[in-house]
Order: sequence, then C-alpha cells, then structure tokens
Amino acid sequence: MDNLPGSPARRGWLQWIDPRGKQGGGWGFLINRLAGLGLTFYLFLHLMVLGKLANGPESYDGFVKLAHHPVVVAGEVLVVLAVLLHGFNGIRILLTSFGIGVARQRLWLVLAGVLALGIGLFFILRMAGVLS
Amino acid sequence: MNRRKQENTWIWFIKQASGGLVFLVILVHLVVNHLVAAGGLLTYSDVIRYFSHPWVVVMEIFFLIVVVGHSLLGLRSILLDFNPTAAFLRVTDFVFVILGSAAVLYGVWLALTIASVV
Repeated sequence: MDNLPGSPARRGWLQWIDPRGKQGGGWGFLINRLAGLGLTFYLFLHLMVLGKLANGPESYDGFVKLAHHPVVVAGEVLVVLAVLLHGFNGIRILLTSFGIGVARQRLWLVLAGVLALGIGLFFILRMAGVLS
Repeated sequence: MNRRKQENTWIWFIKQASGGLVFLVILVHLVVNHLVAAGGLLTYSDVIRYFSHPWVVVMEIFFLIVVVGHSLLGLRSILLDFNPTAAFLRVTDFVFVILGSAAVLYGVWLALTIASVV
C-alpha cells in the first residue's frame, strides 16, 4: 500500500486552494505554505541585497535611499506580518502534532492571526515613529 | 512512497526545532535592528558599528544557518505536496543541499567581511 493507515493523506497542491469542506486546520496549512513561500523568496532577496554592504558605503546607502519608496515600505510591512503569522501559526501547527488544540483549530488560528496583527501593528507604528 | 518515508522523523524534528529557533532569533533580530536602534539600522556606518560586536556576528551567523535550513526544509515539504518520485526527490534534495550550503557560505563571508571593516 502506498499510503499507510494513519499517515498524512496525500495532498495534491490544487487542494490547497479548494475551499470545499476546508476547516480551520486546512486554512492554517494554506496560510503557512503561502507565507513560507513568500518569506523564502524574501530571505534570498535580502541576502543578495545585503551583498551591497561588501561594495562600500556608496553602494549600500544608495540602495537604502531607494528602499524608502512606498512600494518597498509596503513590502516590508507585509514581510513583518508574514513572519509573525508564519511563526505563531507554526507554533499552533506544532502543538497539534502533539494533540494540543486539535479540536479548536479555527479558534487557535484566529488567535495566531490576532497576535500577529497586534504585534505587527505595534512594530509598524514604532518604526513609523507614531509610538515612542 | 508515503509521506512519512519522504519526510522522516529527523527531518520533521529539524524543521520544527529550526522553526522555533528562527522565530526566537528573528524577534531579537527585528527588535535589535529596527526598534533598539533609533529609526532602525539604516546606514552603512550603522551596520558596521552593529557588526563590530562579536556576539552580533555569532548571532547573525547562527540565525543565517537555521533560517536557511528551515526555509529549504519548508520548500521540500511543499514539494512533497506534488507527490514527487523518489528519483526526482533525490535530485531536488541535492539541489537544496548545494543551494543551502552556498547561501550559508556566502552569508558567513559577508558577515565576516562586514565585521572586519574598521
């Protein structure tokens, strides 16, 4: 038998976006996949951009000036929110592996989202100088 | 091949443990880089000053290793959703090892280069 009893069901990637019958855990799975993909892309982009530090102050400071563009700032806000959501949702998923919170996955997912939004908002407002 | 054979207990454990460590260190990374430093570490000289502390270099290199490992293990998990054949998985595993090693070597070189600027 290809898939042993008790092992995770085979999931084709199209099932990621199929809303039919998807419960809290399914949405949490999808959110973590999408946030993880985005963060992996950002990680390698971040590493490449930081390479400008090896070229001296003109190269790096010139880039930082460009990074003040509203589109880049909006991207950074998304990265912070994705980190927090992926982190808190990841902890939730780990806990379900140990049988914790399995029956209330939607509640724990909402809690992870609220924590990510709350901390993210505080962080963004601090960065913007609105909070001291 | 079933998923538990493709992602054995060790790979699962490393992915979870590195995820926990990444989350812990990334919070320190975000707070130190963007909140403790007024307005964030924005200029070249800010970054050079930050990397002049040896513990920062150690923390950032540790962060680099766990975050690269976690991200590539996560990509591998996503790949498993496509039900790859064992032969295809062997090739992608090799690519991930090369990509991860290259990213870590490059990052360590960069961190040490920045730290060596007086």
